[in-house]
Amino acid sequence: MALKETIRARWFWYSILCILCWGGWAMMSKLGSREIPPETMQFLFTIGTLPVAVMLLVARRFRLEKSSKGISFAILNGVLSGIGGLTLFAAYHTGSNTALVTSASALYPMVTVLLAVTILREHIRPIQIVGLLFAAAAIVIFSL
Amino acid sequence: MHMPPWFWFTVITLVSWGIVGLLQKLSTNYISAESSLIWLVVGFMVLEPFFYPGAAVFHYSGWNIFWALASGALNALGAWALFIAMKSGGKASIVAPVTALYPLVVIAMVPIILHESISRLQIAGVISALIAVVLLSV
Repeated sequence: MALKETIRARWFWYSILCILCWGGWAMMSKLGSREIPPETMQFLFTIGTLPVAVMLLVARRFRLEKSSKGISFAILNGVLSGIGGLTLFAAYHTGSNTALVTSASALYPMVTVLLAVTILREHIRPIQIVGLLFAAAAIVIFSL
Repeated sequence: MHMPPWFWFTVITLVSWGIVGLLQKLSTNYISAESSLIWLVVGFMVLEPFFYPGAAVFHYSGWNIFWALASGALNALGAWALFIAMKSGGKASIVAPVTALYPLVVIAMVPIILHESISRLQIAGVISALIAVVLLSV
């Protein structure tokens, strides 16, 4: 019954759409990176994000919240995302295995959890400790 | 221990995106997730002058330019779908770990499209990474 409800739920299909989009993003990043250097990939990637940002702006009728703190954090987010994207393109450009690079880069929540504990003083849950152990195991295996 | 070149690039990605995860939390304390995505693209634009390739961009094949542009569009669309999933009643504790499984799509497509294969040990690493991502996102 719960499974049926989940499959009928709108959020479930949007989650699937998200997985497919991000899977496609990683694949296309690799395909483009075979020829194009990381800096140009990041340049073109950003142009690719613009139509979605404009669509969102139109959907919100160009109304955005005016919190300078929120805006500053979000812009800094973009800058750091761009730097992370650049090095991901560089990793793909080395010709290394796509599945390994994608799986390793997907481990970034590990750093977020560690930062949330050290900077925001959030409590780490036992399940997250197990997650960190799996992440450490993956990193050791990838480095072999 | 010999580290392949891709490993160090990926470490920088991990650290940058790890900080992004934290900033995402902080920004959405003040503005909506959609606004956060719009301003994130503004942040991308800040870097554009540093990466501007000039006329060199026309030397690459049309298909590869298309892949690069489409990767940006799909990344942003994925983020948008995630926001809608959360808004449509999906619990963050379920939606976040589910969507973190996107490498599965890559793992399924890579042997068909790129004809790449991985060793058994590397498969163990990938499984370990996927379990970690799900547990860390819960």
